[in-house]
Amino acid sequence: MDLHLIVFGVYPYIALATFLLGSWIRFDHEQYTWKSDSSQLLSKKGMRFASNVFHIGMLGIFFGHLIGLLTPHSVFQALGISDMAHQYMAMYAGGVFGLMVIIGGTLLWLRRLTNPRVRAASRWMDINILGWLVGTAIVGFSTIFWSMGHAAKGDPTVMLRLAEWAQSIVTLQPNPELLRGVDWIYKLHIFLGLSVFLFFPFTRLVHIWSAPIGYLFRAYQIVRARRTA
Amino acid sequence: MSHFLDRLTYFTHPREPFANGHGIKTIEDRKWEDAYRNRWRHDKVVRSTHGVNCTGGCSWKIFVKNGLVSFEMQQTDYPRTRDDMPNHEPRGCQRGASYSWYLYSPSRIRYPMIRRRLLDLYRAERKSGKDPVEAWAAIQADPAKRDKYVKVRGLGGFVRTSWDEVLEIIAAANVYTIGKWGPDRIFGFSPIPAMSMISYAAGSRYLSLIGGFCGSFYDWYCDLPVASPQVWGEQTDVPEAADWYNSTYIIIAGANLPMTRTPDAHFAIEARYKGTKIVSMAPDYAEYVKFADLWMPVRQGTDAAAFLAMGHVALKEFYLERQVPYFQEYARKYTDLPMQVILRRQGEGYVTGRYLRASDFADNFGEKNNPEWKTIVWDEVSDGFVVPNGSIGFRWGEEGKWNLLEKTSAGADMRAELTCLGKPGVEVISVAFPHFTPDEPATLARNVPARRLKLASGETVYVASVFDLLLAQYGIDRGLGGGNVATSYDDADVPYTPAWAERITGVKRADLIRTGREFADNAAKTHGKSMVIVGAAVNHWYHNEMSYRAIMNLLHMCGCVGQSGGGWAHYVGQEKLRPQAGWAPIAFALDWHRPPRQMNSTSYWYFHTDQWRYETIKADGLRAATASDRFKGYSLADYNVVATRLGWLPSAPHFNRNPLELVAEAERAGAKDEAGVARYVVEQLKSGALDVAFADPDNPVNWPRNLFVWRANLIGTSAKGHEYFLKHLLGAQNGVLQEGGAGRDNKEVVWHEEGPVGKLDLMVDINFRLNSTGAYSDIVLPTATWYEKNDLNTTDMHPFIHPLSEAVNPGWESKSDWQIFQALARKFSTLAAKHLGVRKDLVALPLLHDSPFELAQPLGEVRDWKRGDSEPVPGKTMPLLKLVERDYGSTYNKFIALGPLMVKLGNNVKGIDWNTEQEYEELKRHNRTVTEPGVSQGMPSLKDDIAVCDAVMRMAPETNGEVAHKSWTALSRKTGIDHHHLYAGRHEDKFTFHDILAQPRKIITAPTWSGIESEHVSYNAGYTNVHEHIPFRTLTGRAHFYQDHQWMLDFGEGFCVYRPGLDMQDHKLVPASVKKSPHLVLNWITPHSKWGIHSTYQDNLRMLNLFRGGPYVWISEEDAKTVGIRDNDWVEAVNANGATVARAVVSQRVPRGMAIMYHAQEKTVNVPGSPTTGKRGGILNSVTRVVVKPTHMIGGYAQLAYGFNYYGPVGSNRDEFVVVRKIEDRDVDWLERPLTPEREASRNPVGVGAR
Repeated sequence: MDLHLIVFGVYPYIALATFLLGSWIRFDHEQYTWKSDSSQLLSKKGMRFASNVFHIGMLGIFFGHLIGLLTPHSVFQALGISDMAHQYMAMYAGGVFGLMVIIGGTLLWLRRLTNPRVRAASRWMDINILGWLVGTAIVGFSTIFWSMGHAAKGDPTVMLRLAEWAQSIVTLQPNPELLRGVDWIYKLHIFLGLSVFLFFPFTRLVHIWSAPIGYLFRAYQIVRARRTA
Repeated sequence: MSHFLDRLTYFTHPREPFANGHGIKTIEDRKWEDAYRNRWRHDKVVRSTHGVNCTGGCSWKIFVKNGLVSFEMQQTDYPRTRDDMPNHEPRGCQRGASYSWYLYSPSRIRYPMIRRRLLDLYRAERKSGKDPVEAWAAIQADPAKRDKYVKVRGLGGFVRTSWDEVLEIIAAANVYTIGKWGPDRIFGFSPIPAMSMISYAAGSRYLSLIGGFCGSFYDWYCDLPVASPQVWGEQTDVPEAADWYNSTYIIIAGANLPMTRTPDAHFAIEARYKGTKIVSMAPDYAEYVKFADLWMPVRQGTDAAAFLAMGHVALKEFYLERQVPYFQEYARKYTDLPMQVILRRQGEGYVTGRYLRASDFADNFGEKNNPEWKTIVWDEVSDGFVVPNGSIGFRWGEEGKWNLLEKTSAGADMRAELTCLGKPGVEVISVAFPHFTPDEPATLARNVPARRLKLASGETVYVASVFDLLLAQYGIDRGLGGGNVATSYDDADVPYTPAWAERITGVKRADLIRTGREFADNAAKTHGKSMVIVGAAVNHWYHNEMSYRAIMNLLHMCGCVGQSGGGWAHYVGQEKLRPQAGWAPIAFALDWHRPPRQMNSTSYWYFHTDQWRYETIKADGLRAATASDRFKGYSLADYNVVATRLGWLPSAPHFNRNPLELVAEAERAGAKDEAGVARYVVEQLKSGALDVAFADPDNPVNWPRNLFVWRANLIGTSAKGHEYFLKHLLGAQNGVLQEGGAGRDNKEVVWHEEGPVGKLDLMVDINFRLNSTGAYSDIVLPTATWYEKNDLNTTDMHPFIHPLSEAVNPGWESKSDWQIFQALARKFSTLAAKHLGVRKDLVALPLLHDSPFELAQPLGEVRDWKRGDSEPVPGKTMPLLKLVERDYGSTYNKFIALGPLMVKLGNNVKGIDWNTEQEYEELKRHNRTVTEPGVSQGMPSLKDDIAVCDAVMRMAPETNGEVAHKSWTALSRKTGIDHHHLYAGRHEDKFTFHDILAQPRKIITAPTWSGIESEHVSYNAGYTNVHEHIPFRTLTGRAHFYQDHQWMLDFGEGFCVYRPGLDMQDHKLVPASVKKSPHLVLNWITPHSKWGIHSTYQDNLRMLNLFRGGPYVWISEEDAKTVGIRDNDWVEAVNANGATVARAVVSQRVPRGMAIMYHAQEKTVNVPGSPTTGKRGGILNSVTRVVVKPTHMIGGYAQLAYGFNYYGPVGSNRDEFVVVRKIEDRDVDWLERPLTPEREASRNPVGVGAR
């Protein structure tokens, strides 16, 4: 069987299924592990800068990918955003947020490895997932140099094919052929990124699901009635 | 339901707002609450407590879930006190609440463990065909083999083994030791029976059956106030905590109530609400200072001076300036103040001698029985000398006159005169009083009114009352002329004035005057409801009895002792073993053999850890200027040898020969019976062929060989001179920084140039947690925790008896102590039957207090048979020599049954005898009888732990009304007073284990104790002496202001004096490298901790989380600044004794000049190496060294007679100074390196040799 098909046709479903089902199972069965495992209590040194930069960068990257890849091409056209403009937006926004992730993430990773208190409280997976995220971001950032080449030639096709592939996956019409011939750096980034979804339920990343947005709007006092059900 | 699916319906939940939208009612999932419910859900609740030598003695609920202890909580079902009194609850503190951590902690000992090297050696010997005893003998016979495991003590290397094998090894070692060296070379150390009586009794019963020694603990811990036996003939009888509430004036000194009496501190607070005034005398800003209306920060160790000054005020204002009728009557009836003392000529003036006796008068004043033991007062009724009732001469050999009624021996009413001043024929003479304050004269001459008297011997002497002498001693001017007395409190040149005391103690004179005045005034108005609460901090000094006697003097002047709400409240450990009379026969196997072997531990460790070789204190320097020349030049060790020779103190081992061999020799020489053997031994002693062991403690013949430590942390906590223990007793890596040489000039103790190393063949530790003692042992046995065994617990602080009980089965392979020693006894019996058989043992018994032998040596004279002052007569001038037949093969059968002597000889406590036939028969039914064939078949069974608890309670007057009845009847005969009303309402009460499991029970009033349990007063010491006229068990039968034994006078302590701390010199002998670095020289203060009870809890994760998580030393902020020590820096405390490493806690709380290292932070948690010694950074006692005091050794003399944990030298440790310096973080060495042959070989610090 073709490795390309497995990685870009099958693996995305394994990763996403694990991500969704794994999160569900963990949420239902391991409520006490559903947390961010913050180490701020152990050491606050350098946390304010590194953590904020990392998290802001991460949110930017996440929504950038979500919007940039999954918005149907027709919508961009309807909004009057040209493919080249789309590509430049992706490169600049991705570059800025990606750099934030790399800087913040590296600082956090070094802190995790070198601060004795944090290190002592770290599990293998805590060190691993952070390193993985930073690695993915570094590779993602590197794709900009290839994209710059494409942009210089005024050629947005690679970007469009990547988006089309992503949409093919989420619409359950997988078309791995779209990625054939795409530069290896993009493929590597996609593989690393998909793996983050695979690891997701086994790490502290699950806290992403539980962003406490409700707290912004909640009443001061919540009284929970006894349910008869 | 799925949490996830539940979340999906989030937006459909009905939401009812309330409070203007500030609140909202939802139907969100509440399943998460179950987690919290399950945390506290449990299968059963069981009552137990913590056997931790904490006076709290708190009953706890133990919650068990799934067969595991999940948590504990305070019980609140104690019986009420009475109307208008706060109850005893809630009892329990953060330490007790953290105990369940231990059960499943990493430090839990789960299996029997043994030092790998020893096990290998033993298995090799066994494999070669030797039987266990031969195998052990082969290892001991080969110095190389022995050394192999001895020198790695404390360096790890334990392996798991089976119960069967490990007990075989221990039994073999015991059998071998008994045969080769003698049973008195086997020693057991376990403290404080009251905290878990049956566990204590387990080991002590085994040792007593085989002839081993049990070591005392109270004196060794220095918690034993020697002043208590000196003054009252009673050891630590104190008010229960509830009685603080009845007080209206309390001085607290050296007892940190909220920290160390946590569950009882509320009584002091509640007393304040009632209006009681509280004065605190802590040198530092201790937690209890916050209770106080007045804080008098006294310089540490100078409490005597402060209390003498307060006594000065009380005497002057309440005895001279006006007479308080209550005080006068109290002084006449209950103190020795009217007793007459002979004044002897010395130089220009006179010195105080002994009490005048009936024997000093013609025809012994008509006294046929013990005239030398009957003291004399001047009677105001008949206007002449009389023999009052109640002195100790009436206690033995006659009945009915040992009481404190105001009657003469002849039966006439009398009224003792306090002072003869102004009476016809009275002269004023100059009496010299010893004085010890530096830069002041060594004697102080003061004028005293006295009568001239011609004695029966023809000698004419002066006699004066203790009262008249006391006023002189306190430096109060009575208008008699002469010097050294003051009219003004501001006269700082006259000792014992408030102004003088201000200089010594640092306490403002105005505060001393006011407190002394208020204390006395309050007592005068309330008839004695003034109290002094005092504790270890004052008692841990070498001259502790001076501070204590100064306090007791003040209390007696004010008529406080024996009155509810008044008196001396000394709290240290869990001393009060309430059902003592029922427990002792089982604990010391008195039901099978009498007497048992019991040793005073301070002398034992002083000699056997060779601390005597390093003695810097010269006894001559401690003696009074007025002392006689006898024993001049004797070292402290020499005094101890004399004391054992004269039968004052016990000696372990007894002699430099196996006592079994000694009897065999005597029999070979023709001895037929005990008297014959004694004659033989006396001859041997006289000829010098035989000698007491302490005369040559370093001779291998006299070494201790086997040591059991259970329920204790000897090495990690109480080993004053810890590093000497390691060096000489254990032969382990040690930090002693000096070589010995101080014993060369000893007159009585043989000096060996090379110090012995590794005296013990075997050390066995029995514990539930691995602490420093286990780390240095050869064998560690896993015992049941306090939630896994059935046992009994009582304390000084409340009058209840309650249980430890088996909430869960003993974890892993652990067993209760009772079962461990039973199993050992079984193994021992099999081996002993073959190797030992039936043997006759000779026990050298000291002249015991509360026995007729306390009258052995009259008039306080020291008659040393070795110097030809007298003949050696057992029981008179030397120890009693008693034969005990031991059927070694039947040890197990005896262990498991209550033996026949309980019927044959009955029971006894504190000199009161009664028979136990009825209880013995009851126990046969209650406990069932032993079915195994053997010597004990058909006797009441003691196999089961609960059966032992029930046997104890059935035989004790405190827990069986019938026994109370019998014992009070016996005492009533002695005093001639009917005391039966004291317990009458409870004659029919009988407690069983299951009763106290249901609820703690208040004990029944017993003659064992001087307080009573009633519906009207709280328990308070001395109550029956004052209200029932039962004499104190002293020479005069009264509380003593004066001590007339020759050694007391030689050491200048006839009257209470102020004595400054010792100059130990140890801090001067530190390496040059230490001296070069910036350092502090600080007094080493070791009070009890907030985060532990002794060493327990100190290694408990829950407690470690509450403070620094490791060892720490508090020092003053100002001191720290001078040498650049910042908070939390690592520091090292060093002196010649060794070094200890800890983090500095820099605090304003601590006064300059002292370092506070809380008690018992041992080396098992976060202790790095010491840069100076190169060894592990030690414990609090790594820098201390024990010094014995000759006056504590006196025996055979009324209240100054030996009793186990009653009298004897105390292991003081607060006179010590250390050098404290900072260790840079980079120099902290955790010594985490593998054991190399080089490291193994260097047992001592670099440059320290074998001496």
